[in-house]
Amino acid sequence: MRLLPCGPGAVLAEFEDLATVMSAATSWREAGLPGVIDVVPAASTVLVVHDGSLNLALLTQPASTSAEAAGKLVVVPVKYDGDDLAEVAAACKMSIAEVIALHSGNEYTCAFCGFIAGFGYLVGLDERLVVPRRATPRTRVPRGSVAMASTFTGVYPVESPGGWSILGHTDLAMWDEHRDPPATLPPGTRVRFQPT
Amino acid sequence: MIHVASWGVAGSVQDAGRPGRAWLGAGRGGAVDRPSLALANRLVGNDEACAAFETSGGLTITTTKPTMVAVTGGVAHITVESGPPVGWGMPVVLPAGATLRVGRMMHGARIYVSVRGGIINSGDAMHAGPDPHTPAALQPAARHEPSTNVRLWPGPRLDWFDDDALQILTSNPFVVTDTSRVGSRLSGESLRRVRHDELPSEGMVEGSMQVPPDGNPIVMLAGYPATGGYPVIAVVDPADIHLVGQAAVGTELRFRLT
Repeated sequence: MRLLPCGPGAVLAEFEDLATVMSAATSWREAGLPGVIDVVPAASTVLVVHDGSLNLALLTQPASTSAEAAGKLVVVPVKYDGDDLAEVAAACKMSIAEVIALHSGNEYTCAFCGFIAGFGYLVGLDERLVVPRRATPRTRVPRGSVAMASTFTGVYPVESPGGWSILGHTDLAMWDEHRDPPATLPPGTRVRFQPT
Repeated sequence: MIHVASWGVAGSVQDAGRPGRAWLGAGRGGAVDRPSLALANRLVGNDEACAAFETSGGLTITTTKPTMVAVTGGVAHITVESGPPVGWGMPVVLPAGATLRVGRMMHGARIYVSVRGGIINSGDAMHAGPDPHTPAALQPAARHEPSTNVRLWPGPRLDWFDDDALQILTSNPFVVTDTSRVGSRLSGESLRRVRHDELPSEGMVEGSMQVPPDGNPIVMLAGYPATGGYPVIAVVDPADIHLVGQAAVGTELRFRLT
């Protein structure tokens, strides 16, 4: 772990791999460290935002890397009717039914959010389903699209441009301003996709 | 009700934002120049964090009942039809049916128009919130031309740049070439990267100075995304972010280390 300066109210911790990022973010958030305002995991870093009073010595490397397994479980109902199902099936050399079975068969964990408010990057994808981002991103991906790219899967919270392959869609809202937290899949959440 | 006849340039309703949501992928949001929002609110007796209009000129609003307003931030011609004149930094009660127009910006980049009670945005219509039962200011505020000297802290990815990058950044002027709620783009002596691999997106704070491959820095303002993929060379001191937010296109900024 390396701590990088980020001004008087934040510090950026850099890690070797995503598993360590996830366990550090979970343990630092749950520790309720004095002065901490936000703990922001990303692909290889955790940004700790504080009020200027944080004792950096408290940001220790977490002992275990399996802390993320304890998050709340959210089941996302999915209609697997996405425009890219056939293309994904061909790229993975399997049938559409197998793609759906593999995608809905695993349990995922939200590693971090980004791109758009409420967009969770979920890890745990079967390695047989790993396909690159689309060569040409779409200018409009509909709200609620369930999609995947590289080792991640996720749900588009609002209509936006996007380069992930679309497998289906859900009516479950990913963001509710009147809820705390407003995101449906905050980092650490366990996720299952339920075919409907 | 407050009827918005024209939102003008980048017009919106903004409060003090919501920190602590970057982990959910949401930046702080809220007013770009929070000290000006706070002043506009204090003038009309509001809590400093109340929602007010933010505009870069051209906002036109009409009142349907007597409404106390105050204007802060940058300077523009403010005209009022069917009501008393409104100057910078003074609370004025507009009668029902008055129209307030914020003209083209003359100084600064953003103007704040507060309303006693704060603005409650219920979809298309804007309403003033309940009376705060606190006194409005008795005297107008004094306006100080915002400084163009901005304090910096070294950023997390300083080592992605030439050894002299921080020296270049703090000894040459940088001109604002574009500004939006997301950030202000600057142009100056090029900041050369020594690493050209792709940086995985990482969390950023407001005021982060990202440097895209073209070498021209972008300072992230209140509407920034929570994460970014360009290396952050430096971070603007939180107390000076509003100075960047008020620097109009063409303004020369000078940076120095805290």
